[in-house]
Order: sequence, then structure tokens, then C-alpha cells
Amino acid sequence: MKSTFPLLLLTFFLSNLSLASTGEPGRSTQQEALAYLRTIRLPDSSIYWPNTRGHLFLENLRVNVQDPLGMYQGSNTNFCGYAALSYLPLNYDPLRYVKFMLTLYEEGQATWNKIKFTPSPEVMLAAGTLRFKGVLDIRHADQMWFLVLADHFRSYLNFFHRKFHTGSEDTFWAACNLGKFNRMIRQLMGYKIKAVGSDLIRPGIKDLYAYLQNAIQTGTTFLYVNNTYLHVKNHDKSRFSFPTHYIVLTDIQQIGDIFQIIYWDYGGRTLRQVTPEFLKKIIFGVTYCQKDTHEE
Amino acid sequence: MRNKHTHILLLLFIVMYACSCKTLNITRYYHHHQSVLDSIEQVYTHAYKQKPFSIEFTDRRFDRVSMELATDSLTYIYEFWVGEDRMQDTLRKYGFDNFAVNNLITNMRSVNCTWINNLDYYTDERKHTLTYVTLWPRAFNFPFVKKKYYILTYFQQPQYFDSEGQLLVGRKMRRVRKINAEVFRRINDKVCYTLSDRFR
Repeated sequence: MKSTFPLLLLTFFLSNLSLASTGEPGRSTQQEALAYLRTIRLPDSSIYWPNTRGHLFLENLRVNVQDPLGMYQGSNTNFCGYAALSYLPLNYDPLRYVKFMLTLYEEGQATWNKIKFTPSPEVMLAAGTLRFKGVLDIRHADQMWFLVLADHFRSYLNFFHRKFHTGSEDTFWAACNLGKFNRMIRQLMGYKIKAVGSDLIRPGIKDLYAYLQNAIQTGTTFLYVNNTYLHVKNHDKSRFSFPTHYIVLTDIQQIGDIFQIIYWDYGGRTLRQVTPEFLKKIIFGVTYCQKDTHEE
Repeated sequence: MRNKHTHILLLLFIVMYACSCKTLNITRYYHHHQSVLDSIEQVYTHAYKQKPFSIEFTDRRFDRVSMELATDSLTYIYEFWVGEDRMQDTLRKYGFDNFAVNNLITNMRSVNCTWINNLDYYTDERKHTLTYVTLWPRAFNFPFVKKKYYILTYFQQPQYFDSEGQLLVGRKMRRVRKINAEVFRRINDKVCYTLSDRFR
């Protein structure tokens, strides 16, 4: 029994070491990704993705590479975590993203950072059929990307929604809690991250402004927020007190008594002035990447 | 004793009445305010084409207004008191049509319109736009009741409906179209409505 402890310690050390060593993703540029896309000819249908149209798929990849900030999660879906996560590959490794998506389209499965994605038949049928979601309706590559990520990465929030059914994109099937979000960044993107917060309790950050300033200067910063306050949809005074949305914080400035924040979500960047109390109230988690400072 | 029971029953009835959601005949409301509502839509559509924006009233008295002003690089979200100088300065700074926006704010207040925005939707891979107008009539303002909104959608071209008046995807695709996860019903060929617990 005693001998197992050092062994466990060694295993733990090695597993952390391997995680750190995989943290250097291959970097590429927008030009490389676009040049690669120009060489690609795709059939308009795939045996693996019967409802995904090749021309819409390719056009979607081109748009994502050209305008990484334009990725839209779709109205009323629970894809915000996957859309926020996409900020990293689209901005820092678009060629890898494009190659992964094309392999997925042509072979029905693909590997990213040693993680093999073998989508379920339900998801393969659903990609290309999501409707009434705004521009996501015609973005077949984004539908495939979100569905494949949600299908592969699971957490306790998805426990009662194991299989995809029509409309599951709006349900807990697609939900993404903070632990899962951080796991996806670590495993998929290989970034070393620092995270505070949880799914229910706000992080006890004393100087929020200084903390967020430091996070942004260190690397890409994600906030896990209560969207019922940020993106108000009704005038009810009583609102749920838990996080439901991910945003990418790109800037924060203190102007007198208020904070001016710039964040990315829903396919664009927004500037907004908020009180420190408001920001404290909506933030349930902060995750920032520690490796992309020298990548930017 | 009997008198006491009557009082309790009466009190219960009053509480239940206050908590119940009074319905509004939206078709009648639309026809009654048609000139103002249609004018709001026309002014908004024209101004939106110049520079995209949305307007939201954040309080029940329609005194606080929040605007999302879209520019090429950023969307600015600011909240103002109605008529505040800061609002006029901000609109000028980003090149928005002050006259149109002020006209909209006045008319929106007069018909209890709490939100106006432009939405994209797709049919056969083709992009279309509609104007999304949310009404928050005072009839719905009861305590303990989840807020309800009537939403009007203005389409650019005539739409198709089933026999129950539900909005369809198209003439060939006789599937019910959802907008913001809601099913809409016909008021006329280009205007539909729904009842929702979200204003957007």
C-alpha cells in the first residue's frame, strides 16, 4: 500500500508533465488556411453527413478564417461554450481547424491533438438541418463543429440528455459547464490555463479589475457569466442566479466609477459600460490561457 | 362568522384576479394603433439601412432607453434617460440619424413598444430580413405574474400561413416557421404576432 503512493505521485507528475508538453499547438496563419482552402474541391454531398451541403460547408470555412469574430452560435441554442472556444483555433491556428473540418467531412471522423472524434449517427444526420437559428441555418460547417464538440465532450449537465434528438441544440444536451469548458481548452487546444470560479458560486476575487486586467494581458480570457443580466430578455426583477453564457473579454478599462468592457459573443464585439457591482454579480468563472501571449 | 368567510373569499378573488394574466386582443390592438406601429416600422427600417441599431426600454415607465449601436468594428451598448443630452451627443458621435431615433422613441413610448430590432432569417439559403417589434401593454403588468410580451414581425414580402393562421416556411415547404423559438400567427399578409415571455 505504501509503495503505491510514490507511484501515484509519479503518475500524477508525469500526467501533468505530458499535459504541459502538449500545450504547444501548431500555429498557422490566416493566409495559409485560405491558400489551403483554395486547393480543395469537395463533392456537394457526403455519405457521412447526408444533410450537409459541400458548397455551404466550404464557404463557411472560408468565412470563418477570413472573419474569425463572425462565428455565430445561433439564436436560442446552447452552443455558446463551443462558439467561445472556437475563438482560439480560428484566431491562432486556422489551418489546423480547416484541415480537421475537411477530414471530418470527407472521412466522418477526425483527430485533433490526439483526441479522436467519432460523431454519433444522430449528430451526423442533424448537421445541416438546424433551422431558424439566424445565419447558422446556412453555416453547415459551424453546425457540424458545434454538434461534434457537444457530442464528444460530456459533463454532469448532459447526464439526462445523452443522445441527440431534434431540438437538442437548445437543451441541456448541448450545455457546457465551467469544468467541461476548461477541459476542452486544455485537451483540444493544448493550452495551459488558469481558472477560477464554479457553476454555482461566484469566485471571491478581491480586486476584480486588477485580476481581469492581468488575465487579458496574459492571454485569451473567457468569462462564464449570468446572461440573464448581460443580455436581458425580459423585465422580471427576479432572475436565476447561475451562469449560462461564455464571452471572450478582450479589454477592460476603469473610467471613474465604472468599468468599460469590450467582449466577444454572438458573432461580434461589444463595448459596454458597467458598474463594478454588476460585473461582480454576473461573473461566475474566469478562464485565461497562459500560452498565447507570445502567439499574439 | 359567515361575514368573515365572505371577506376572505373576496380577498382571495382580488388576489387571484391580480395574479391572473389579462389577455389583450392583439389584432384589435394592432388595428387600433396601426398608423403609429406601421410608421415605427417604416422609420426604423429606413434608419437601420443607414446604420444598424436597436432600441430597448428597460423600465415599465418607458423612461430609460438602452441602445445597441452597431459600427463596423464594435457594437456599443449605452443606456440613457429619455431626452438626455448625452444620448443626442452619442448618436451624433457615431453618425446615427438623431431625428429618426428621437421620432422612434416618442412613438414607441406612445404604444408601449419596449423593443425594436432587425432579424435575419433564411429561406432556401437566401437571406431575408424582418423587423421585430415587441409590445409590453400595461394590461400585463400584474404583480407575481411572469411578464408577457406581444411580438409583431413585419416581413418585407407576403408570407404563407396554414389553415390555423400559423406562419409557414414557404409555399412549397409547408412547415411551421419559428422565429426566436416562437410560432407566429397571421395579422395580415406581412404582419404576424406571437405571445412570449421574452421581449427578444
